[in-house]
Amino acid sequence: MKSRFIILTIALLLSALSPVVAQDVPTITIATWAGVDEAAEFQEIIDEINANTTEYQIVHQPTPAEYYTVVQTQLAAPGTGADMYWMDQDNMALKADGVFMDLSECLANSEPGTAGDLSDYYPGILAVNEYEGGVYGLPWIAQPVVTFYNKALFDAAGLEYPSPDWTWDDFIEYATALTQDTDGDGEIDQWGYTATDWPPPYIWIWQAGGELISEDFSSAPVDSPEFLEGLEFWLNNAYNPEMSPSAEIIAEQGFSEMFRAGQIAMFMGGAADDLDRVEGLDVGVVRVPGHPETGSHTTFAWNASTVINASSPLAQENPQLLCDALVAITEGIHNWKIVSPRISQATVEHLVAAEPRKEASAEAILEAAQDMRALPVFGNFAEFGTIFWTEFANPLLNDETDLTPEELAAEIRPELEDTLP
Amino acid sequence: MTDPGALNTYLPTLVRYVLVMIGIGVIMLVVYRVQLALGIKREAATGRTLVMPWLIGFIVFNVFTIGASLYLSFTDYNLFRAPEWVGLENYQELFDISFGTLESRDQRSSDVLARRHDEIIRVEIGDGGFVIGARSDSFWRSMRLTLLYAILSVPIGLAGALGVALLLNQKVKFLGLWRVLFYMPAILPTVAMLLLWRWMFSQNGIINSLTFPIWRLTSGEAPRWFTDPQLALPAFIIIGLWGVFGANSVILLAGLKGIPTDLYEAADIDGAGNWAKFRYVTIPMLSPALFYNLVTSMIAALQLFEVGAFIQTPESVGTFVNWLIYQEAFTLRNMGMASAMAWILLLIILALTALIFRSSSVWVFYQGAREERA
Repeated sequence: MKSRFIILTIALLLSALSPVVAQDVPTITIATWAGVDEAAEFQEIIDEINANTTEYQIVHQPTPAEYYTVVQTQLAAPGTGADMYWMDQDNMALKADGVFMDLSECLANSEPGTAGDLSDYYPGILAVNEYEGGVYGLPWIAQPVVTFYNKALFDAAGLEYPSPDWTWDDFIEYATALTQDTDGDGEIDQWGYTATDWPPPYIWIWQAGGELISEDFSSAPVDSPEFLEGLEFWLNNAYNPEMSPSAEIIAEQGFSEMFRAGQIAMFMGGAADDLDRVEGLDVGVVRVPGHPETGSHTTFAWNASTVINASSPLAQENPQLLCDALVAITEGIHNWKIVSPRISQATVEHLVAAEPRKEASAEAILEAAQDMRALPVFGNFAEFGTIFWTEFANPLLNDETDLTPEELAAEIRPELEDTLP
Repeated sequence: MTDPGALNTYLPTLVRYVLVMIGIGVIMLVVYRVQLALGIKREAATGRTLVMPWLIGFIVFNVFTIGASLYLSFTDYNLFRAPEWVGLENYQELFDISFGTLESRDQRSSDVLARRHDEIIRVEIGDGGFVIGARSDSFWRSMRLTLLYAILSVPIGLAGALGVALLLNQKVKFLGLWRVLFYMPAILPTVAMLLLWRWMFSQNGIINSLTFPIWRLTSGEAPRWFTDPQLALPAFIIIGLWGVFGANSVILLAGLKGIPTDLYEAADIDGAGNWAKFRYVTIPMLSPALFYNLVTSMIAALQLFEVGAFIQTPESVGTFVNWLIYQEAFTLRNMGMASAMAWILLLIILALTALIFRSSSVWVFYQGAREERA
């Protein structure tokens, strides 16, 4: 009786497994941080790919909560995770840990002009995915920081709108002039600009000729005069009562919310942000101001990629199939997200086709994209970033240190360099 | 219609779960049979067999992981590369503390502290003072916040829980309803509760609105509870008092119900007033329940996690140690350092718990123990 029961149970389990065993077309899973709306849009891309192939079927696994904790625990336990993952620039640091599949070989024969053609990517953005001669992810977005400005506030102050060749000096002039007590109660209620630790200081540091990390990753010259010049510009603008609200007011009323409420004249945000379509606001977009002497308008680009889990069984059995699916997915995303990280797609037509609501700002966004830079990501970048922010940038920004930027930079430099490869 | 993709994704996991259960069942059966074959009595064999899954789970998921974290605390480990033995390096970094004397109030802390050390505590006395700094300043700031929170919030919370239990022990109308209402906070999701508190403590929130006359007269500006380093700890303690109305009150209420009424009658005959009865009957008889609540509340306060995750504090205040450990592990991927921090926290919890246990002989009254000694 007992043995019959055991045999019956095993038979039932095997029959439950049969759809998996009998399936001819491999299932490829992709995990993302997409929330409800983003996941629904992404599903449309996946459905289209699935409908046009008999080679594989892609299944989306949205994981909006604690995404990177989930990803790390899955990657640390080989064979348990998805086949592909979305990774932002900071987490592309995992490329140094051998957990992502090297794509160089399987992409070698990609058609020119497709998402698999590595020569079509902005080199600085692709570099985030490169490590020791290999390529570990395909970028799907490179979103440059641009300046959104409230035209009505400029008009009311009798100011010309910022032109693409504006400089730091112009910016300060505008920001100061637009900081006003509009209702005459003795308190400022409109500010020219707003900043916290965003936008990041790298923009101004790079424009001034400074570097966070040297090109060969051998030093962190945070005490160079160029670096400090850019840093000072960043420090002087944030929470400066002459042009921007205090940290407390921002914490209370919301950062971008103040711009949406018409209290802020200029806001620096990602090109894909919806600040240029706030109901009731007429908003213009222009690239970030440039350095008055170097003339550089370099801006920071937030970027993300899709990677293949090196320990996925499919990556061992059929890496080319995964690569093909990755290219198809990435192609789809390049026609959905802005800004596409591909040089051949840097056209107004392509950008507007992907996001028709950006028609008015498309030219300014593409102009900014020509000057965008990504962070120099390396294996230990998380530790580097933490030291940079918690022991250097934030204490200076929040007046939590009694050292000057020069003194703190000299003190922190060895600590930062200890983390370099 | 069932999504075939989702079925293919999740079915193998379900099958694995079922297979593991069947596997454990088979092992239990084998172990049971082996015990019987060895001549062990049927009752004992059944007991051991039934406890076996729990024991295996405890060894695999508790003993092994605790041992592994101790080992990892002596390594450099990022989850993906093999752990590299570094000996006491993680602990040395955490305990790299320096002490400096201030010759004047204007002197900068950085001038008197060792290089790469940041201030944790600065005390100004007269024209001078002293500064304590550390290389792992964020850890010690967080430890300071966590310890202060535990030391201040637990006694206040216990006193509040006792007050609530005494109220619920009265003969009032709708007692059942009151008890349900006071227990409700214990079953509310912590995250929802924290978001509510965050909203209540915002600058235009209900707390600032209610205290408007006080701060208008004193500072003239509404308090910024979580961004002002002076106010963050009091705000957290107020949030912690929420737990007063929950399990602690219920345990104390059960303790109050268990006090024999003849003790109060005897006290009445002796002419004791309400205070005397509370002081000399209620408190001693309730002391085992108070002791239990003190120990569990202290451990829970030192292990607070969610508050750190949902309420950001300034760098100078630090955060709750468990949240810091999580960040060190999963944001910085320093599993070795995170494990070392966890072990220091564990030792502190053990020390405080041992202290409470040692003190219990002075203030906890166990009727059975007294009778045994007599």
